[in-house]
This record gives sequence, C-alpha cells and structure tokens, in this order.
Amino acid sequence: MDDGVDTSDTPAEVDATFRTLRRVAVGYFVVFLLAVAAFPVLSLTLDWWSSSRLVGGMSPGFLVAGFGLYVFFAVLGVAAASLSSAVEHRMLGTSREPVDDDVAPGSGEDLP
Amino acid sequence: MRGGSGLLAGVLAAAWALVFLVTQVLVDPALDAAATVLAGVVVSTVVVLGYPSALRGPRAAPTTRGGTRWRPARRPRDPRGVRDGLTIAAAGQSMPLRNGLTRDAARRTAQLIKPLLGGDAVAITDTEQVLAFVGPGADHHRVGGGLQTRIARVALGKGRTVVVHARDGIGCPEPDCPLRTAVVAPLAIGDRVVGTLKVYRTQDEPAPRVLVDDMASMLSLHLELAEMDRERHLAADARLDALRAQINPHFLFNILNTIASKSRTDPEESRQLLLRLSDFFRYAVRQDGHFAEFSQEYFFVRTYLSLEQARFGDRLRVRYDIDPQVLTTRVPVLVIQPLVENAVKHGIADAVAGGTIHLRARVDPLARTTSIRVSDDGVGMTPEVLDRLLAGGRPGLPESSKHSGVGLWNISQRLDALFGDRYTFDVASTPGRGTTVDLRIPLR
Amino acid sequence: MTGSAALALAAALALVATVAVVMRPRGASTVDFYLAGQRVGVATNAFAICGDYFSAASFLGVAAAVYATGLDGAWYAVGFAAGFVPVLLFVAAPLRRFGEFSIPDFLGRRLGSETVRLVAVGVVQLVILSYLVPQTVGSGITWELLVGEGVLGLDPYATGILASTAVVTVLVAFGGMRGTTWTQAVQFLLLLGALVWLAATVVAEGFHYGEAVESISSVPLDNPAGSTDGLTPEQSALHPGEPAVFGEPGARYGGLGQFALIVTLAMGTAGLPHVMNRYFTSPTGTAARTTTVWVLCLAGIFYSLAVMLGTAARDLIPAAVADRPWLAELTVDGVLRVPEHALPVLGRIFGEDAGLGVVAAGALVAVLSTIAGLLLAAAASWGHDVYERHINPRATQRQAVLAGRVTTLVTACAAAGLGLAMRPESFAAATPSIVATMVTWAFAVAGSALTPVFVLAIWWRRTTAAGAVAGMVAGLVVAVGMFTAGALTSGGLLREVLVTPTLLAAPVAVVTAVVVSRRTTPPADVERSWQTMHGTAADRRAERIARLMLAERRAARRWRRARR
Repeated sequence: MDDGVDTSDTPAEVDATFRTLRRVAVGYFVVFLLAVAAFPVLSLTLDWWSSSRLVGGMSPGFLVAGFGLYVFFAVLGVAAASLSSAVEHRMLGTSREPVDDDVAPGSGEDLP
Repeated sequence: MRGGSGLLAGVLAAAWALVFLVTQVLVDPALDAAATVLAGVVVSTVVVLGYPSALRGPRAAPTTRGGTRWRPARRPRDPRGVRDGLTIAAAGQSMPLRNGLTRDAARRTAQLIKPLLGGDAVAITDTEQVLAFVGPGADHHRVGGGLQTRIARVALGKGRTVVVHARDGIGCPEPDCPLRTAVVAPLAIGDRVVGTLKVYRTQDEPAPRVLVDDMASMLSLHLELAEMDRERHLAADARLDALRAQINPHFLFNILNTIASKSRTDPEESRQLLLRLSDFFRYAVRQDGHFAEFSQEYFFVRTYLSLEQARFGDRLRVRYDIDPQVLTTRVPVLVIQPLVENAVKHGIADAVAGGTIHLRARVDPLARTTSIRVSDDGVGMTPEVLDRLLAGGRPGLPESSKHSGVGLWNISQRLDALFGDRYTFDVASTPGRGTTVDLRIPLR
Repeated sequence: MTGSAALALAAALALVATVAVVMRPRGASTVDFYLAGQRVGVATNAFAICGDYFSAASFLGVAAAVYATGLDGAWYAVGFAAGFVPVLLFVAAPLRRFGEFSIPDFLGRRLGSETVRLVAVGVVQLVILSYLVPQTVGSGITWELLVGEGVLGLDPYATGILASTAVVTVLVAFGGMRGTTWTQAVQFLLLLGALVWLAATVVAEGFHYGEAVESISSVPLDNPAGSTDGLTPEQSALHPGEPAVFGEPGARYGGLGQFALIVTLAMGTAGLPHVMNRYFTSPTGTAARTTTVWVLCLAGIFYSLAVMLGTAARDLIPAAVADRPWLAELTVDGVLRVPEHALPVLGRIFGEDAGLGVVAAGALVAVLSTIAGLLLAAAASWGHDVYERHINPRATQRQAVLAGRVTTLVTACAAAGLGLAMRPESFAAATPSIVATMVTWAFAVAGSALTPVFVLAIWWRRTTAAGAVAGMVAGLVVAVGMFTAGALTSGGLLREVLVTPTLLAAPVAVVTAVVVSRRTTPPADVERSWQTMHGTAADRRAERIARLMLAERRAARRWRRARR
C-alpha cells in the first residue's frame, strides 16, 4: 500500500531541518574562515612557516598553498555535504522500509 | 570502550604523531617546542570538538541512491533474553562467571583462577554435575559427569567449606587418581547454594583454605550480580512490552475523528494524516530493542506531533532544536514521545491560547552525554498533579490514572534498568508557566 | 603558425563544435534552451560547471600570477578553489530546490517583487560584462602568440578577440543549454587534459617541484619593469626594505591583502550567474550538493597543477632561452615580458609546435566555454526576466528564445568592444597577471552585491524586497567606489584593500539589507518558500520516480531477455 505515496513535510519539520542545517553550514564556514585566515597570520608571525624546508625542498607554507589547502577544501566539502545530506535524510520524510511490509509470523503482533 | 572513546583516543594520538612528524622530523630546521605544543593543542581541540560531527556524523550516512533506506535497527535476541546494548551486563566482562554459571564460563574461570590458588587441579560444579575440571585427573573427572565425590555433596548440603587431608576422603572411585588432598567451597547466591569450587593437590598438604574461601565468595558475588542483571532485563523487557501495548486510546479516537471531519473538506490532508497515523503505529509496534537511533525516535515524535497539530490546529505550535550530532546517537526507545505526549496533554490541551512545545537535543562532546529537553509554555502543573503523573503507570494504582498514557514512573524505571545511576531525569513545573523535562543520558 | 600547431588547434575546436551540433536540442522550448530540461547527471554537470568556471583567468592567469610573483600568485588559485566552499555550504541545495531559471528569477520570486528582479538583472549584467572582458583579452593574447598575424587589416590581438567572440556566439545561439552542458563538459576535459599533459611532460623531463622551489627561492625575485630594458627586483610587502622571494609570501600582498583577495574570490563565486545557473539543471538538491563536492575536488587538482606549472616556468625558462631564438624575443634576461605566456611557452619548449597547439587549444577552449556560459546567463536573464515578464508578457516560446539569442549577440559585441579598448599593455605591471586581476573585478561585484543578498534570502526569513534592493545597491556602490578609489591610489596597504573590496563591501551590504528589512514587512508566503527551499518532499518524489523508472526499465529488459 505504501508504494507511490509519500508524506509531505510540515512547516515545523522543515523549520527544524533548516535550523540544524544552518548550524552545520555556519560551523563549517567558521572552520573554513579560520583555516584561510591562519595562513597570513602564520606567515607574519612564524619564520619557520616560510623559511624552513620540508623533505623535498618546499617550505610548509608553500606546501600548504600548493596542495594542502585544496585537499583541505575537498575534505571539508565531502564532510559538509555528507553531513547535510544525512541530516536531511534523517529529519525529513519517513523512515519507512521500502520493501516487504510482512511481519514474521509469531512475532507477537496482533493488529487486525 | 564505550561510545567510541577508544576511537577518539586513537585519533588524538595519531594527530599528535602527525604534528610531531611534520614539525620535528620531516622539516629542517625543526619548529621550536612551544609552537609545536601549541599546534598540537589546537589540533587536539579541533579533534575533540569536531569528533561528534566529523567522525560520528557521516559514519552511518545512508545511501541516497539505489533506494536502500536505512531500516530500524533490529538486532538478534540473545538466547538468554539478555539483549544488545545493556550496559550493566557489559561491565565487568573480565570475570566470565559474570554471565552466569554455564559450562563455558566455568571452564574459563577455572583456567583463570588455577594459578592463583596454588592447587594442581581446579573444578567447578553446580548442584548436579561437574561443569569444568582443569588439571591432572581430568581423564576420569569428566565434565558433565555426576558428582562422584562424597565431600562435594557435604559442601552442597551444609553450605560450608570442607577440607580433605587424605586420598580416601576424596572418595574418587578410580584407583589411579593422582589427587591426594582437596578443599571444597560452596558457591552461593544469597542463601541458596548453587555449586562448588574444588581445589585439589597431588601432595599431602591441602591448598590454603582461606584462599579458596575468599575466591569462592568472590565468585559467588559475581554470580549474584549476574542473577540481578538478568532479573533487571526481564523486568525492563516486561515494561517495554507493556509500553508498546499502551498507546492511548483517546489519542486514537481523537485523531480518527479529525481525519473523518477533514476527509470531505480537505481530502489531501486527510490522506496525509492517514499515512502519518500508519507510520505512527508501525513504529510503535515494531520496536523490539531497547535502543534506537535518535533520528528514528525523532521521526516518531514528529509523526505524533503532526497528528496532534492536525487536531489542535494553530493552538499547538512546535519548535524543534536539534544538534546534527544527536541524530546518530542511540537513545532508549519510546521515551521521548511519551514526554512530548505528556506536554501536549497536561500543558497545551487545557490552555485556551494554546502553546509551544519545544524539543531540544544536544550532544556534549566533553562530558560525552546526550541531553534532551522537552518543554512547553502551557498551563503547567501543581505539585499534586506532578506527583500523580510521576506515579503514573505504577502497578496497583486506580484505573483512572492508568489511562493517562505512559507514566513518567515507567520511563524512569526503564532508565534505571538501562543506565543505573548514570543518567539524570528532572521534571520542573510551575502552574501557569509550563513544564520542563530534562533528560541526560550517556552518549553511545 | 606551423602545420602541427594548427592541426592540434583545429582538431580540438572541431571536437567541441561536433559535440555542440550533435547534442543540439530537438525541441526548442524555453526550458530546454536555458536549463536542459533539468536532467543532467551529477558528473556531467560537475564537468560543465568546471568548464564554465575555469576560464582564461584560471588556465593562463593562475600560472602567470605564480610565475610573476611566486607564492602570492598562488592566492588566486586558492581563492578560485575556495569559492565553492561557501556555495556548497549556503547555496547549492536550497537554490536548486527553489527551482527557477536564474539568479534574478530566484530573488524575484522568493521576495515577491519585480523591482528586486530588475535590480538583480542589472547587477548580473554588470558581473557578466566584467567577467567577459578578461576572457576576450585572454583570447586576444593567445591569438597574438599562436598566430601572430591578423586578418582583414586588423592586428593579431583584435583578430583573436573577434574570432573567439564570433565562434561562441554562434555556438550559444544554436546550441542552448543542453548543447552547452555537453560542450562545456567536453571542453573542461580537454582543458584538464592539456594541463595534465603539460605537467606530465615537465615532470618526465626531470623537473623536481621541491628542488625547483628551493633553488628559485634562493635568489631575489626579478621581473621586467615597464619601459626599461633590464630586470628590477620585487620588493617584499611584508618585510619592507627586503627583496621579495619566490617561495615566500610578500611579493605582492601584505597579510591583509592576501586575506582580502581570498575573501573576494571566495565570496564572489556564489554570485556568478553562469555558475549558479548550472545548479538549476541538477535533478535534486542533494545532487546539486554532490555536484559541488565534485567541482571542489576537480578544482583542487586543476589549480595545484596550475601552480606547479607556474613554478616550472619560472625554473626552466631561463635555461631554455640560450638555444631558442624565438624565446629570446619574448624574454628579458630569461624572464617573460608577459607572464600569461608562461604556459604556451612551456608547451612549445617541451612539445615543439604541437605542444604549443595543445596549450593554445586549452586556452581557447577555456575562453570559449566561459564566454558561452556567460552569454547564456546573459540571455537567460534578459530573455526570461526582462523580455518575457516586462516587455512582451504574451511572448511565444519562439519569440522568447529569439530575444535570448539577440541579447547574446549584443552582450558579446559589447564585451568584444571593451576587450579591444583595454589592451594588456595599457596596464602597467602593477598586477601579477592582468587577466587574473580583471576577473577579480567580476568576483568583487558578485561577492559584494549578489552573494550577501542571496545568502540572506535563503537563510533569513525576515529578508524583504526593499532590504534586498538596498543591500544590492549598497554592495555595488561600495564595491565600485572602492575600486575606483583603488585605481587612483598608488600602492600601499590602502590600495590592496581597495582593489579587493568584498572584505568591506559585503558586510556593508549585509548590514544595509538587514536594517532595511527590519523596517519593512517580509513577503507573506515565506513559509511556503521555506518548504520548497529547505524541505525535501520534491526531492524524495523525484528520487522515487527515478527508482520506479529504473525498476521498470530493468523489468522490461528482463522480459525482453526472457522472450529471446
């Protein structure tokens, strides 16, 4: 009977999801800003950041600007996207099982 | 370790190792010590605060494509009726007898304690047969065999420790038996003797009696705890069964009336309500574990509240405030919805202007607790009403209070059984100002 | 131009043209023309977004900026890549779920106001135009280097601009969005292929990234200075009085300047009309989000390669000058006069003429795909938001599409004209890369005027039409004002902040929008908007239908197999 029907979202549910997602987005955005702002701060305050050499010859600062930040953005993106989608999936819609609705015999259910 | 603490510790250790590697080993010149420690502290803070979202959040991320939606957790029952996720049973796993007097547990216990007792052979029996025998003589003192020795029967009958100094005293029918002396101590749960612990020696000097006595009383304590656990689980199961059968009939009548009255004016909405009602019942009758993911309990609560909103209209307002991290934590089943139902019934239903139900759920990553608050700004309750509610569902109360849904008493009893004293459950109510229920449970 | 270079270039362009023609939409409904019927796969859409987004500024400009200023140039790459993080966090899914044609359409319907729509159209056109100009400049530079001669009495630079504009205009006018979705995807793959090929060749020839950074960082960073013939060392902006070094920050920007540049680029992306319009072609909101994650990963690969190649050019070109007379003409003491030449020159050093052809094809493709995306966005906002709604509300499908095509032509001509007027030589070497710098203008306008209002409209219920208009106007005025002031100021910290105005202009826009919104009443149907924008009912329905269709198709296949 469940095939082809789905419940719509009530305003309260949408509002709840909206506010939870806003927390997720703002939280990740703050992390993003801190990481981006950390670079100029480090290059101003810490000589080690731009003048020492990692194995291979690059300074930590160059390594981060050349590779590290892109990896960081990608990881941040994957984490934020999967968390947001998981939140939406759990907070909206039904948790109904898609397939069989049969109850194993003898499991103690006595609904008509 | 509980609730992923081990994982967290591992991640922290790895973070420090990485900081050390990057700032000290792979780089020339190395970063000075103060800056390294600062970097490590920053990384650790980020890991601890971000742990619930980064490591917990996506862990159980459902597949959005392909149509395999996640289904309610359904775990197999333990044959002895002890279900998954019961923390009391999980504590003290190191002593095998903690799970009861079985052959397997007895064998592992005997192997464990033999070196401690200074005996050559150790046996554990129940009142009928030998459950485990470790050491010389195991060829004829067989597991599963009846109690051959007379002294065991003495120890069982009198409930006190017996020391045998001579080979004859053991009463073993096998003439080649190498065992010469024995100390036999009873194992008891309360006053009831349920078995014996036997320590044999192949020399003439018996094992120290005090040592065997102490060991036997320690094992007895574990057996007693195991028994208590089992009784608790049975009681908690019984309460959960009672809870499932306890969907308030008034609620059902009311919502069916609402649907019937809307079926002509707004067929689409009444269809939606029927769908939600079927979701509601399906969830209520299908829970067969003690724990569920918070998101599923939340689904149950919002299904319930959307039905009540159809009945109360604008008088019932709802506000959810939910941390993303809470969604994947595991909470006791059928606890939040009764709290919300109470708030609707005792807070909003009698308020002329209606009111707002507020459900707030948070995770505290440092204290590792989940806190859930259900509050309303309805009429509130006098202390007498609150007392009656707290006693609601208690066996032996007059019929009138039984139909008021699931009592808070039932909930707190179940929480007792599940968490012992590791939870808090506070109800505060002011007449005219509303009621607030605060629940804090360990994160898992 | 030699035979092999021409061959490589022609093959690449022929491929793009073929795809555009083959994928031409059959029925020309408005929805198809602008949105490809909202049925484009996640990967295809991600490739197409990359094709739209990675312009000449990314392909030539980033490498040029790194070549000229070292680590400071890498901030362009970081900023361009970072732009999709705010898009992912704040915009992608709700924007798709609300489901309109364009940014002005979204704002207009969300806030229930035609004024908002028209103001947004104005801002969008400004962004598109300021984004188009650097693209045409890039195509002019490429033509200059590749062909070296003009036709019909025009100089090479002008010929390049006119030729590229003509090609793209034809593609857009006949292709529409579905056509361009596929061409954009193919173009991006071509672009990425050219970059990967170049990087692989350079590494195979013995280039060692770390050692190169170390060796070129051991001497001061020299660049040709305007009129004089010799090289002058760059001064460090972080440590006054010291020469700048390739591997350390400070060749161009002080600490605040770096941050201001990144914020400008990062906030701008969410307001770029040609990128945002792509989100409406995702099947669901969740898919839009997944698409953005793909784009983030692809951007990371693309830009880290571009930074590496800029370094390689700085490291390898001086040694290559000696036995290559053609290179000596382009350089002063082993340093390129025009940093944008870095990638094509590398291609020619390592791949002879064919290599030059590949890189040039990549550059032209980058320009073409971005211009196509921009023109389409321009067509959508003129044709849909202005013509269909205000000029001719009873327009037939045919008329609307025609109006879009005509505006495409007009916008393209305007951009070509501006490109001709702004020659790269007319800008002194005050910027790391002229193409990359010009693109920041578009990002600054988009990030100051559109993004704040956009994010507020999605995440704040109380946003009103008046607030949005005030916010957009305030952001635009502050951004343009600061920019003009910056152009008149000479050097220093003040100038750095003035030419990347988002850091200041976006907060001004937000405050203005909030203050005005508080004093006016929000639209009445905000709850309904919320339900479409943040609810997933429509997504779930779409997913279920897709599942049913899949099951049906599988059943049909099984049935057919059973019959056989």
